[in-house]
Amino acid sequence: MFKREMKINLKNFIIWTSILIGLFLIVFLIYPSIINSQNFELIDEMMKMFPKEILKAFNMDISSINSVFGWLKTEGFVFLLLITGIYSALLGSNILLKEESDKTIEYLNSVPVTRNNILLNKILCGLLYIILMVLIVGIFNFIGLSLSGNFDTKLYILLSITPIFSSIVTFALCLFLSTFTHKTKKTFGISLGIVFVSYFFNVLSELSNSTKFLKYLSIFSLADIRNVITNVAINPLLVALSLFITMILLFFTFIHYNKKELV
Amino acid sequence: MEKCIIEIQNLTKYYGKIKGVEDLSLKLYEGEIFGFIGPNGAGKSTTIRSIMNLINKTSGKVFIEGKEFVKDDIKIKEKIGYLPSEIYLYNDLTVKEMLDYHESFYKKDIHKKRIELVTRFKLDETKKIEDLSLGNLKKLGIILAFVHDPKILILDEPTSGLDPIMQNVFYDLLKEEKAKGKTIFYSTHILSEVSKICDRVGIIKDGKLIKVESMEDLTKKNLTFVTLTSEQLEKIKKDLNVNIISENKNTIKFRNNLTSDELIKKISKYNIDKILIEEFTLEEMFLHYYK
Repeated sequence: MFKREMKINLKNFIIWTSILIGLFLIVFLIYPSIINSQNFELIDEMMKMFPKEILKAFNMDISSINSVFGWLKTEGFVFLLLITGIYSALLGSNILLKEESDKTIEYLNSVPVTRNNILLNKILCGLLYIILMVLIVGIFNFIGLSLSGNFDTKLYILLSITPIFSSIVTFALCLFLSTFTHKTKKTFGISLGIVFVSYFFNVLSELSNSTKFLKYLSIFSLADIRNVITNVAINPLLVALSLFITMILLFFTFIHYNKKELV
Repeated sequence: MEKCIIEIQNLTKYYGKIKGVEDLSLKLYEGEIFGFIGPNGAGKSTTIRSIMNLINKTSGKVFIEGKEFVKDDIKIKEKIGYLPSEIYLYNDLTVKEMLDYHESFYKKDIHKKRIELVTRFKLDETKKIEDLSLGNLKKLGIILAFVHDPKILILDEPTSGLDPIMQNVFYDLLKEEKAKGKTIFYSTHILSEVSKICDRVGIIKDGKLIKVESMEDLTKKNLTFVTLTSEQLEKIKKDLNVNIISENKNTIKFRNNLTSDELIKKISKYNIDKILIEEFTLEEMFLHYYK
Protein backbone atom coordinates (compact mmCIF):
# COMPACT_ATOMS: atom_id res chain seq x y z
CA MET A 1 0.00 0.00 0.00
CA PHE A 2 2.83 2.37 0.88
CA LYS A 3 4.54 1.53 -2.42
CA ARG A 4 1.36 2.38 -4.31
CA GLU A 5 0.98 5.66 -2.43
CA MET A 6 4.53 6.59 -3.35
CA LYS A 7 3.86 5.70 -6.98
CA ILE A 8 0.67 7.73 -7.38
CA ASN A 9 2.14 10.80 -5.74
CA LEU A 10 5.44 10.62 -7.60
CA LYS A 11 4.29 12.63 -10.61
CA ASN A 12 3.26 15.68 -8.57
CA PHE A 13 6.42 15.41 -6.52
CA ILE A 14 8.55 15.49 -9.67
CA ILE A 15 6.62 18.48 -11.05
CA TRP A 16 6.91 20.58 -7.88
CA THR A 17 10.54 19.63 -7.27
CA SER A 18 11.33 20.48 -10.89
CA ILE A 19 9.70 23.90 -10.48
CA LEU A 20 11.96 24.62 -7.53
CA ILE A 21 15.07 23.22 -9.17
CA GLY A 22 14.25 25.11 -12.39
CA LEU A 23 13.87 28.35 -10.45
CA PHE A 24 17.17 27.91 -8.64
CA LEU A 25 18.91 26.72 -11.81
CA ILE A 26 17.95 29.95 -13.57
CA VAL A 27 19.31 31.93 -10.63
CA PHE A 28 22.59 29.99 -10.65
CA LEU A 29 22.90 30.55 -14.40
CA ILE A 30 22.10 34.26 -14.51
CA TYR A 31 23.44 35.46 -11.16
CA PRO A 32 27.14 35.44 -12.06
CA SER A 33 26.44 37.85 -14.93
CA ILE A 34 24.44 40.15 -12.60
CA ILE A 35 27.23 40.15 -10.01
CA ASN A 36 29.81 40.98 -12.65
CA SER A 37 27.80 43.70 -14.30
CA GLN A 38 28.22 47.35 -13.47
CA ASN A 39 24.52 47.66 -12.77
CA PHE A 40 24.70 45.51 -9.70
CA GLU A 41 25.86 48.27 -7.41
CA LEU A 42 22.96 50.35 -8.65
CA ILE A 43 20.56 47.52 -7.81
CA ASP A 44 22.04 47.26 -4.32
CA GLU A 45 21.70 51.03 -3.88
CA MET A 46 18.14 50.89 -5.16
CA MET A 47 17.31 48.17 -2.66
CA LYS A 48 18.40 50.48 0.13
CA MET A 49 15.76 52.94 -1.03
CA PHE A 50 12.97 50.46 -0.22
CA PRO A 51 11.16 50.89 3.10
CA LYS A 52 12.84 49.06 5.95
CA GLU A 53 9.74 46.90 6.48
CA ILE A 54 9.80 45.62 2.91
CA LEU A 55 13.47 44.78 3.15
CA LYS A 56 12.73 43.02 6.43
CA ALA A 57 10.02 40.94 4.81
CA PHE A 58 12.58 39.53 2.40
CA ASN A 59 15.42 39.48 4.97
CA MET A 60 17.24 42.09 2.86
CA ASP A 61 18.02 44.16 5.93
CA ILE A 62 20.27 41.42 7.30
CA SER A 63 21.65 40.09 4.06
CA SER A 64 22.83 41.55 0.78
CA ILE A 65 21.92 40.13 -2.60
CA ASN A 66 25.46 40.61 -3.86
CA SER A 67 26.00 36.83 -4.13
CA VAL A 68 23.92 33.75 -4.97
CA PHE A 69 23.97 32.76 -1.32
CA GLY A 70 22.89 36.28 -0.44
CA TRP A 71 19.96 35.96 -2.84
CA LEU A 72 19.08 32.56 -1.37
CA LYS A 73 19.06 34.00 2.15
CA THR A 74 16.70 36.74 1.04
CA GLU A 75 14.28 35.88 -1.75
CA GLY A 76 15.43 32.31 -2.40
CA PHE A 77 14.31 30.86 0.89
CA VAL A 78 11.07 32.84 0.79
CA PHE A 79 10.26 31.12 -2.52
CA LEU A 80 11.36 27.79 -1.12
CA LEU A 81 9.11 28.26 1.92
CA LEU A 82 6.16 29.27 -0.20
CA ILE A 83 6.52 26.54 -2.80
CA THR A 84 7.15 23.73 -0.31
CA GLY A 85 4.23 25.17 1.67
CA ILE A 86 1.91 25.07 -1.36
CA TYR A 87 3.08 21.55 -2.24
CA SER A 88 2.52 20.36 1.35
CA ALA A 89 -0.91 21.97 1.50
CA LEU A 90 -2.04 20.36 -1.76
CA LEU A 91 -0.55 17.01 -0.77
CA GLY A 92 -2.22 17.13 2.64
CA SER A 93 -5.61 18.04 1.26
CA ASN A 94 -5.48 15.48 -1.54
CA ILE A 95 -3.62 12.40 -0.35
CA LEU A 96 -6.41 10.96 1.80
CA LEU A 97 -9.41 12.67 0.29
CA LYS A 98 -8.65 11.47 -3.24
CA GLU A 99 -9.91 8.00 -2.28
CA GLU A 100 -13.27 9.49 -1.37
CA SER A 101 -13.37 11.96 -4.22
CA ASP A 102 -12.62 9.19 -6.74
CA LYS A 103 -14.93 6.84 -4.79
CA THR A 104 -12.20 4.18 -4.59
CA ILE A 105 -12.65 4.22 -0.81
CA GLU A 106 -15.56 1.78 -1.21
CA TYR A 107 -13.06 -0.74 -2.56
CA LEU A 108 -10.33 0.08 -0.05
CA ASN A 109 -12.76 -0.18 2.84
CA SER A 110 -13.79 -3.69 1.74
CA VAL A 111 -10.30 -5.20 1.88
CA PRO A 112 -8.74 -6.30 5.17
CA VAL A 113 -7.04 -3.06 6.09
CA THR A 114 -7.85 -0.70 8.94
CA ARG A 115 -8.58 3.00 8.55
CA ASN A 116 -5.60 3.71 10.79
CA ASN A 117 -3.42 1.72 8.43
CA ILE A 118 -4.72 3.61 5.39
CA LEU A 119 -4.07 6.90 7.13
CA LEU A 120 -0.66 5.91 8.42
CA ASN A 121 0.55 4.89 4.95
CA LYS A 122 -0.65 8.15 3.48
CA ILE A 123 0.91 10.25 6.24
CA LEU A 124 4.26 8.48 5.92
CA CYS A 125 4.20 8.91 2.16
CA GLY A 126 3.33 12.62 2.47
CA LEU A 127 5.99 13.35 5.07
CA LEU A 128 8.59 11.42 3.12
CA TYR A 129 7.90 13.39 -0.07
CA ILE A 130 8.08 16.73 1.80
CA ILE A 131 11.41 15.78 3.38
CA LEU A 132 12.68 14.41 0.06
CA MET A 133 11.74 17.63 -1.72
CA VAL A 134 13.59 19.76 0.81
CA LEU A 135 16.57 17.40 0.67
CA ILE A 136 16.79 17.23 -3.13
CA VAL A 137 16.43 21.00 -3.53
CA GLY A 138 18.92 21.44 -0.68
CA ILE A 139 21.49 19.18 -2.34
CA PHE A 140 20.94 20.85 -5.72
CA ASN A 141 21.47 24.30 -4.23
CA PHE A 142 24.50 23.06 -2.29
CA ILE A 143 26.10 21.90 -5.51
CA GLY A 144 25.12 25.17 -7.22
CA LEU A 145 26.54 27.27 -4.39
CA SER A 146 29.76 25.22 -4.29
CA LEU A 147 30.28 25.98 -7.98
CA SER A 148 29.48 29.68 -7.47
CA GLY A 149 31.99 30.46 -4.73
CA ASN A 150 32.35 30.46 -0.96
CA PHE A 151 29.44 30.27 1.44
CA ASP A 152 28.73 29.43 5.08
CA THR A 153 28.03 25.69 4.91
CA LYS A 154 26.55 25.41 8.39
CA LEU A 155 24.23 28.35 7.84
CA TYR A 156 23.21 26.94 4.48
CA ILE A 157 22.38 23.49 5.90
CA LEU A 158 20.33 25.00 8.73
CA LEU A 159 18.48 27.26 6.32
CA SER A 160 17.82 24.35 3.96
CA ILE A 161 16.09 22.22 6.53
CA THR A 162 14.04 25.05 8.04
CA PRO A 163 11.14 24.75 5.51
CA ILE A 164 10.50 21.21 6.76
CA PHE A 165 8.98 22.55 9.99
CA SER A 166 6.40 24.85 8.43
CA SER A 167 5.69 22.31 5.66
CA ILE A 168 4.87 19.37 7.93
CA VAL A 169 2.49 21.55 9.96
CA THR A 170 0.84 22.75 6.73
CA PHE A 171 0.55 19.15 5.55
CA ALA A 172 -0.95 17.98 8.86
CA LEU A 173 -3.38 20.89 9.02
CA CYS A 174 -4.65 20.34 5.45
CA LEU A 175 -4.88 16.59 6.03
CA PHE A 176 -6.96 17.22 9.15
CA LEU A 177 -9.25 19.64 7.33
CA SER A 178 -9.70 17.12 4.51
CA THR A 179 -11.42 14.74 6.94
CA PHE A 180 -14.37 17.15 7.09
CA THR A 181 -15.41 16.82 3.47
CA HIS A 182 -15.71 14.29 0.64
CA LYS A 183 -14.60 16.35 -2.34
CA THR A 184 -11.06 17.50 -3.08
CA LYS A 185 -12.43 20.52 -4.96
CA LYS A 186 -13.61 22.00 -1.67
CA THR A 187 -10.26 21.67 0.07
CA PHE A 188 -7.97 22.97 -2.70
CA GLY A 189 -8.96 26.62 -2.27
CA ILE A 190 -8.86 26.40 1.50
CA SER A 191 -5.41 24.78 1.47
CA LEU A 192 -3.92 27.40 -0.83
CA GLY A 193 -5.68 30.09 1.21
CA ILE A 194 -4.02 28.81 4.38
CA VAL A 195 -0.58 29.06 2.78
CA PHE A 196 -1.03 32.53 1.30
CA VAL A 197 -2.86 34.04 4.28
CA SER A 198 -0.25 32.50 6.56
CA TYR A 199 2.55 34.00 4.51
CA PHE A 200 0.77 37.35 4.37
CA PHE A 201 0.34 37.36 8.15
CA ASN A 202 4.01 36.53 8.53
CA VAL A 203 5.01 39.49 6.37
CA LEU A 204 2.54 41.82 8.11
CA SER A 205 3.79 40.75 11.52
CA GLU A 206 7.22 42.14 10.63
CA LEU A 207 5.87 45.54 9.56
CA SER A 208 4.92 47.10 12.86
CA ASN A 209 4.41 46.40 16.53
CA SER A 210 0.65 46.58 16.21
CA THR A 211 0.64 43.72 13.68
CA LYS A 212 3.25 41.65 15.51
CA PHE A 213 0.55 39.38 16.98
CA LEU A 214 -0.18 38.04 13.47
CA LYS A 215 2.94 35.91 13.66
CA TYR A 216 1.10 33.68 16.10
CA LEU A 217 -1.45 32.99 13.36
CA SER A 218 1.13 32.15 10.71
CA ILE A 219 2.53 28.71 10.05
CA PHE A 220 5.59 30.36 8.53
CA SER A 221 6.58 31.72 11.92
CA LEU A 222 7.64 28.14 12.65
CA ALA A 223 10.29 28.42 9.93
CA ASP A 224 12.06 31.42 11.36
CA ILE A 225 14.63 32.11 8.65
CA ARG A 226 15.60 35.48 10.17
CA ASN A 227 16.62 33.83 13.39
CA VAL A 228 18.64 31.19 11.51
CA ILE A 229 20.46 33.88 9.51
CA THR A 230 21.26 36.08 12.50
CA ASN A 231 22.08 33.36 15.06
CA VAL A 232 23.23 30.53 12.76
CA ALA A 233 21.03 28.21 14.77
CA ILE A 234 17.52 26.78 14.61
CA ASN A 235 15.38 27.76 17.57
CA PRO A 236 14.75 24.41 19.32
CA LEU A 237 11.51 25.77 20.72
CA LEU A 238 10.14 26.24 17.22
CA VAL A 239 11.23 22.74 16.23
CA ALA A 240 9.49 21.30 19.28
CA LEU A 241 6.43 23.44 18.62
CA SER A 242 6.25 22.31 14.98
CA LEU A 243 6.49 18.66 15.97
CA PHE A 244 3.97 19.14 18.76
CA ILE A 245 1.42 20.88 16.51
CA THR A 246 1.94 18.23 13.82
CA MET A 247 1.42 15.41 16.32
CA ILE A 248 -1.72 17.03 17.74
CA LEU A 249 -3.17 17.60 14.26
CA LEU A 250 -2.37 14.05 13.19
CA PHE A 251 -3.87 12.70 16.41
CA PHE A 252 -7.15 14.51 15.72
CA THR A 253 -6.98 13.42 12.08
CA PHE A 254 -6.89 9.77 13.24
CA ILE A 255 -9.77 10.38 15.66
CA HIS A 256 -11.94 12.17 13.14
CA TYR A 257 -11.17 9.88 10.21
CA ASN A 258 -12.21 6.85 12.23
CA LYS A 259 -15.61 8.45 12.84
CA LYS A 260 -16.05 9.71 9.31
CA GLU A 261 -18.69 8.43 6.91
CA LEU A 262 -16.71 7.46 3.85
CA VAL A 263 -19.44 7.79 1.21
CA MET B 1 -30.34 -26.01 13.22
CA GLU B 2 -29.16 -23.62 10.53
CA LYS B 3 -26.16 -21.53 11.44
CA CYS B 4 -26.75 -17.78 11.43
CA ILE B 5 -23.97 -16.03 9.53
CA ILE B 6 -25.19 -12.43 9.29
CA GLU B 7 -27.50 -10.89 11.82
CA ILE B 8 -28.71 -7.34 11.47
CA GLN B 9 -30.31 -6.09 14.67
CA ASN B 10 -32.64 -3.08 14.61
CA LEU B 11 -30.59 -1.20 12.06
CA THR B 12 -31.59 2.44 11.77
CA LYS B 13 -29.90 5.07 9.68
CA TYR B 14 -31.02 8.65 9.38
CA TYR B 15 -29.29 11.21 7.16
CA GLY B 16 -30.08 14.22 9.30
CA LYS B 17 -33.87 14.10 9.39
CA ILE B 18 -34.17 11.95 6.29
CA LYS B 19 -34.82 8.30 6.91
CA GLY B 20 -32.50 5.84 5.18
CA VAL B 21 -33.40 2.62 6.99
CA GLU B 22 -35.51 2.12 10.08
CA ASP B 23 -35.45 -0.71 12.58
CA LEU B 24 -34.34 -3.32 10.09
CA SER B 25 -33.69 -6.74 11.56
CA LEU B 26 -32.67 -9.71 9.49
CA LYS B 27 -30.87 -13.03 9.77
CA LEU B 28 -28.99 -14.75 6.97
CA TYR B 29 -28.07 -18.39 7.30
CA GLU B 30 -25.17 -20.47 6.10
CA GLY B 31 -25.38 -21.57 2.49
CA GLU B 32 -28.30 -19.39 1.46
CA ILE B 33 -28.71 -16.78 -1.20
CA PHE B 34 -30.82 -14.00 0.19
CA GLY B 35 -32.44 -11.69 -2.35
CA PHE B 36 -32.82 -8.12 -1.15
CA ILE B 37 -35.26 -6.29 -3.35
CA GLY B 38 -36.73 -2.86 -3.48
CA PRO B 39 -36.93 0.11 -5.83
CA ASN B 40 -34.46 2.99 -5.95
CA GLY B 41 -34.30 4.91 -2.71
CA ALA B 42 -35.91 2.14 -0.66
CA GLY B 43 -32.81 1.75 1.52
CA LYS B 44 -30.95 -1.17 -0.08
CA SER B 45 -27.62 0.62 -0.50
CA THR B 46 -27.95 2.27 2.92
CA THR B 47 -28.38 -1.19 4.46
CA ILE B 48 -25.35 -2.55 2.59
CA ARG B 49 -23.19 0.47 3.38
CA SER B 50 -24.16 0.19 7.04
CA ILE B 51 -23.19 -3.48 7.06
CA MET B 52 -19.85 -2.58 5.46
CA ASN B 53 -19.31 0.27 7.96
CA LEU B 54 -18.93 2.80 5.16
CA ILE B 55 -21.54 4.92 6.92
CA ASN B 56 -22.26 5.25 10.62
CA LYS B 57 -25.39 3.56 11.91
CA THR B 58 -27.79 5.80 13.82
CA SER B 59 -28.55 2.72 15.89
CA GLY B 60 -28.47 -1.04 15.60
CA LYS B 61 -25.80 -3.66 15.20
CA VAL B 62 -24.51 -6.12 12.64
CA PHE B 63 -23.14 -9.47 13.74
CA ILE B 64 -21.04 -11.78 11.60
CA GLU B 65 -21.02 -15.33 12.92
CA GLY B 66 -22.10 -14.02 16.31
CA LYS B 67 -19.40 -11.36 16.55
CA GLU B 68 -20.30 -7.70 16.20
CA PHE B 69 -18.90 -6.30 12.97
CA VAL B 70 -17.34 -3.01 13.92
CA LYS B 71 -15.08 -0.88 11.76
CA ASP B 72 -11.64 -2.26 11.07
CA ASP B 73 -12.28 -5.82 12.20
CA ILE B 74 -9.71 -7.33 9.86
CA LYS B 75 -10.67 -10.93 10.60
CA ILE B 76 -14.29 -10.28 9.62
CA LYS B 77 -13.26 -8.26 6.58
CA GLU B 78 -11.24 -11.24 5.36
CA LYS B 79 -14.43 -13.30 5.40
CA ILE B 80 -16.38 -10.85 3.24
CA GLY B 81 -16.40 -10.35 -0.50
CA TYR B 82 -18.08 -7.09 -1.45
CA LEU B 83 -19.28 -5.95 -4.83
CA PRO B 84 -20.72 -2.42 -4.89
CA SER B 85 -23.36 -1.48 -7.45
CA GLU B 86 -21.08 1.08 -9.07
CA ILE B 87 -17.46 0.06 -9.22
CA TYR B 88 -14.76 2.67 -8.84
CA LEU B 89 -11.19 1.39 -9.07
CA TYR B 90 -7.81 2.95 -9.71
CA ASN B 91 -7.87 4.21 -13.28
CA ASP B 92 -4.09 4.50 -13.49
CA LEU B 93 -3.67 0.74 -13.03
CA THR B 94 -4.00 -2.14 -15.46
CA VAL B 95 -6.24 -5.07 -14.56
CA LYS B 96 -3.11 -7.07 -13.70
CA GLU B 97 -1.77 -4.33 -11.41
CA MET B 98 -5.16 -3.99 -9.74
CA LEU B 99 -5.34 -7.73 -9.08
CA ASP B 100 -1.73 -7.72 -7.80
CA TYR B 101 -2.61 -4.85 -5.48
CA HIS B 102 -5.70 -6.73 -4.29
CA GLU B 103 -3.64 -9.86 -3.65
CA SER B 104 -1.25 -7.85 -1.47
CA PHE B 105 -4.01 -7.31 1.12
CA TYR B 106 -4.47 -11.02 1.78
CA LYS B 107 -2.14 -13.26 3.73
CA LYS B 108 -3.25 -16.44 2.00
CA ASP B 109 -2.29 -17.30 -1.56
CA ILE B 110 -5.20 -16.37 -3.82
CA HIS B 111 -3.31 -16.39 -7.07
CA LYS B 112 -4.65 -19.73 -8.28
CA LYS B 113 -8.25 -18.64 -7.81
CA ARG B 114 -7.43 -15.37 -9.57
CA ILE B 115 -6.19 -17.18 -12.67
CA GLU B 116 -9.27 -19.38 -12.64
CA LEU B 117 -11.68 -16.44 -12.39
CA VAL B 118 -9.87 -14.29 -14.95
CA THR B 119 -10.02 -17.18 -17.40
CA ARG B 120 -13.64 -17.91 -16.59
CA PHE B 121 -14.75 -14.31 -17.11
CA LYS B 122 -12.46 -13.85 -20.12
CA LEU B 123 -10.89 -10.68 -18.76
CA ASP B 124 -7.85 -9.14 -20.44
CA GLU B 125 -5.31 -8.41 -17.68
CA THR B 126 -3.25 -6.10 -19.87
CA LYS B 127 -6.04 -3.52 -20.24
CA LYS B 128 -6.02 -0.31 -18.26
CA ILE B 129 -8.93 0.09 -15.88
CA GLU B 130 -9.89 3.44 -17.38
CA ASP B 131 -10.31 1.69 -20.75
CA LEU B 132 -12.61 -1.04 -19.46
CA SER B 133 -16.23 -1.11 -20.59
CA LEU B 134 -18.95 -1.18 -17.94
CA GLY B 135 -19.34 -4.93 -18.39
CA ASN B 136 -15.63 -5.63 -18.08
CA LEU B 137 -15.40 -3.38 -15.04
CA LYS B 138 -18.22 -5.40 -13.50
CA LYS B 139 -16.36 -8.62 -14.29
CA LEU B 140 -13.29 -7.24 -12.52
CA GLY B 141 -15.45 -6.24 -9.56
CA ILE B 142 -16.86 -9.77 -9.39
CA ILE B 143 -13.36 -11.26 -9.47
CA LEU B 144 -12.22 -8.91 -6.69
CA ALA B 145 -15.20 -9.93 -4.57
CA PHE B 146 -14.79 -13.68 -5.10
CA VAL B 147 -11.04 -14.15 -5.46
CA HIS B 148 -10.14 -14.53 -1.78
CA ASP B 149 -12.74 -17.26 -1.36
CA PRO B 150 -14.81 -15.35 1.20
CA LYS B 151 -17.39 -17.06 3.38
CA ILE B 152 -19.82 -14.20 2.92
CA LEU B 153 -20.63 -12.36 -0.29
CA ILE B 154 -22.39 -9.02 -0.29
CA LEU B 155 -23.39 -8.23 -3.84
CA ASP B 156 -25.14 -5.05 -4.93
CA GLU B 157 -26.66 -5.27 -8.41
CA PRO B 158 -24.01 -7.76 -9.54
CA THR B 159 -25.33 -8.47 -13.03
CA SER B 160 -25.99 -4.92 -14.23
CA GLY B 161 -23.81 -4.35 -17.26
CA LEU B 162 -23.06 -8.03 -17.85
CA ASP B 163 -24.06 -9.58 -21.15
CA PRO B 164 -26.38 -12.65 -21.02
CA ILE B 165 -23.48 -15.08 -21.55
CA MET B 166 -21.49 -13.59 -18.67
CA GLN B 167 -24.65 -13.47 -16.56
CA ASN B 168 -24.91 -17.23 -16.93
CA VAL B 169 -21.21 -17.65 -16.08
CA PHE B 170 -21.92 -15.57 -12.98
CA TYR B 171 -25.04 -17.57 -12.01
CA ASP B 172 -23.02 -20.79 -12.33
CA LEU B 173 -20.34 -19.32 -10.07
CA LEU B 174 -23.01 -18.34 -7.53
CA LYS B 175 -24.41 -21.86 -7.52
CA GLU B 176 -20.93 -23.29 -6.91
CA GLU B 177 -20.28 -20.88 -4.07
CA LYS B 178 -23.65 -21.66 -2.52
CA ALA B 179 -22.86 -25.37 -2.75
CA LYS B 180 -19.66 -24.69 -0.82
CA GLY B 181 -21.78 -23.21 1.99
CA LYS B 182 -21.21 -19.55 1.24
CA THR B 183 -23.80 -17.05 2.42
CA ILE B 184 -24.80 -14.54 -0.21
CA PHE B 185 -26.61 -11.25 0.32
CA TYR B 186 -27.92 -10.37 -3.11
CA SER B 187 -29.37 -6.94 -3.67
CA THR B 188 -31.09 -6.43 -6.97
CA HIS B 189 -33.81 -4.76 -9.01
CA ILE B 190 -34.07 -7.65 -11.41
CA LEU B 191 -36.85 -9.79 -10.04
CA SER B 192 -36.46 -12.61 -12.54
CA GLU B 193 -32.99 -13.40 -11.18
CA VAL B 194 -34.32 -13.46 -7.63
CA SER B 195 -36.76 -16.23 -8.53
CA LYS B 196 -33.98 -18.00 -10.44
CA ILE B 197 -31.25 -18.02 -7.78
CA CYS B 198 -32.46 -16.92 -4.36
CA ASP B 199 -33.58 -19.10 -1.47
CA ARG B 200 -35.24 -16.31 0.44
CA VAL B 201 -36.24 -12.82 -0.37
CA GLY B 202 -36.59 -9.66 1.68
CA ILE B 203 -38.59 -6.73 0.38
CA ILE B 204 -37.66 -3.27 1.54
CA LYS B 205 -39.98 -0.31 1.23
CA ASP B 206 -39.35 3.24 2.43
CA GLY B 207 -36.49 2.06 4.63
CA LYS B 208 -38.48 -0.71 6.27
CA LEU B 209 -38.20 -4.41 5.66
CA ILE B 210 -41.82 -5.25 4.93
CA LYS B 211 -41.55 -8.93 4.06
CA VAL B 212 -39.08 -11.76 4.39
CA GLU B 213 -40.13 -15.01 2.85
CA SER B 214 -38.62 -18.10 1.32
CA MET B 215 -39.02 -18.42 -2.42
CA GLU B 216 -40.73 -21.74 -1.76
CA ASP B 217 -43.35 -20.14 0.52
CA LEU B 218 -43.78 -17.27 -1.83
CA THR B 219 -44.65 -19.57 -4.71
CA LYS B 220 -46.72 -21.81 -2.41
CA LYS B 221 -48.70 -18.80 -1.30
CA ASN B 222 -50.72 -19.12 -4.42
CA LEU B 223 -51.04 -15.45 -4.99
CA THR B 224 -53.11 -15.63 -8.12
CA PHE B 225 -55.31 -13.66 -10.41
CA VAL B 226 -58.71 -15.31 -10.86
CA THR B 227 -61.05 -14.53 -13.74
CA LEU B 228 -64.49 -15.88 -13.05
CA THR B 229 -67.72 -15.89 -15.08
CA SER B 230 -70.95 -16.71 -13.23
CA GLU B 231 -74.62 -15.70 -12.96
CA GLN B 232 -74.14 -15.50 -9.19
CA LEU B 233 -71.41 -12.90 -9.22
CA GLU B 234 -72.93 -10.69 -6.53
CA LYS B 235 -73.10 -13.54 -4.04
CA ILE B 236 -69.57 -14.66 -4.87
CA LYS B 237 -68.23 -11.12 -4.45
CA LYS B 238 -69.90 -10.86 -1.03
CA ASP B 239 -68.72 -14.27 0.07
CA LEU B 240 -65.12 -13.97 -1.03
CA ASN B 241 -64.79 -10.27 -0.22
CA VAL B 242 -62.29 -10.02 -3.02
CA ASN B 243 -60.13 -7.25 -4.35
CA ILE B 244 -61.61 -6.72 -7.81
CA ILE B 245 -59.33 -5.62 -10.61
CA SER B 246 -61.87 -5.51 -13.42
CA GLU B 247 -65.52 -6.28 -13.89
CA ASN B 248 -67.50 -6.84 -17.09
CA LYS B 249 -71.13 -8.09 -17.08
CA ASN B 250 -70.95 -11.53 -15.49
CA THR B 251 -67.15 -11.70 -15.41
CA ILE B 252 -64.82 -10.42 -12.74
CA LYS B 253 -61.06 -10.54 -12.38
CA PHE B 254 -59.73 -10.40 -8.84
CA ARG B 255 -56.51 -10.71 -6.90
CA ASN B 256 -56.71 -13.90 -4.86
CA ASN B 257 -54.64 -14.72 -1.84
CA LEU B 258 -56.48 -17.80 -0.69
CA THR B 259 -54.92 -21.21 -1.11
CA SER B 260 -56.21 -23.27 -4.03
CA ASP B 261 -58.05 -25.55 -1.65
CA GLU B 262 -59.79 -22.69 0.15
CA LEU B 263 -60.72 -21.04 -3.11
CA ILE B 264 -62.22 -24.17 -4.62
CA LYS B 265 -64.17 -24.96 -1.46
CA LYS B 266 -65.60 -21.46 -1.37
CA ILE B 267 -66.67 -21.19 -5.00
CA SER B 268 -67.96 -24.78 -5.26
CA LYS B 269 -71.26 -23.60 -3.77
CA TYR B 270 -71.95 -21.53 -6.86
CA ASN B 271 -72.57 -22.17 -10.52
CA ILE B 272 -69.41 -21.24 -12.32
CA ASP B 273 -69.48 -20.87 -16.10
CA LYS B 274 -65.82 -20.23 -16.60
CA ILE B 275 -62.76 -19.91 -14.43
CA LEU B 276 -59.18 -18.91 -15.21
CA ILE B 277 -56.49 -18.96 -12.52
CA GLU B 278 -53.19 -17.21 -13.34
CA GLU B 279 -50.13 -17.21 -11.12
CA PHE B 280 -48.56 -13.95 -9.96
CA THR B 281 -45.22 -13.31 -11.54
CA LEU B 282 -42.55 -12.12 -9.12
CA GLU B 283 -42.98 -8.65 -10.55
CA GLU B 284 -46.68 -8.70 -9.75
CA MET B 285 -45.94 -10.04 -6.30
CA PHE B 286 -43.48 -7.24 -5.76
CA LEU B 287 -46.05 -4.67 -6.85
CA HIS B 288 -48.61 -6.35 -4.61
CA TYR B 289 -46.43 -5.68 -1.56
CA TYR B 290 -45.65 -2.21 -2.76
CA LYS B 291 -49.29 -1.11 -3.12
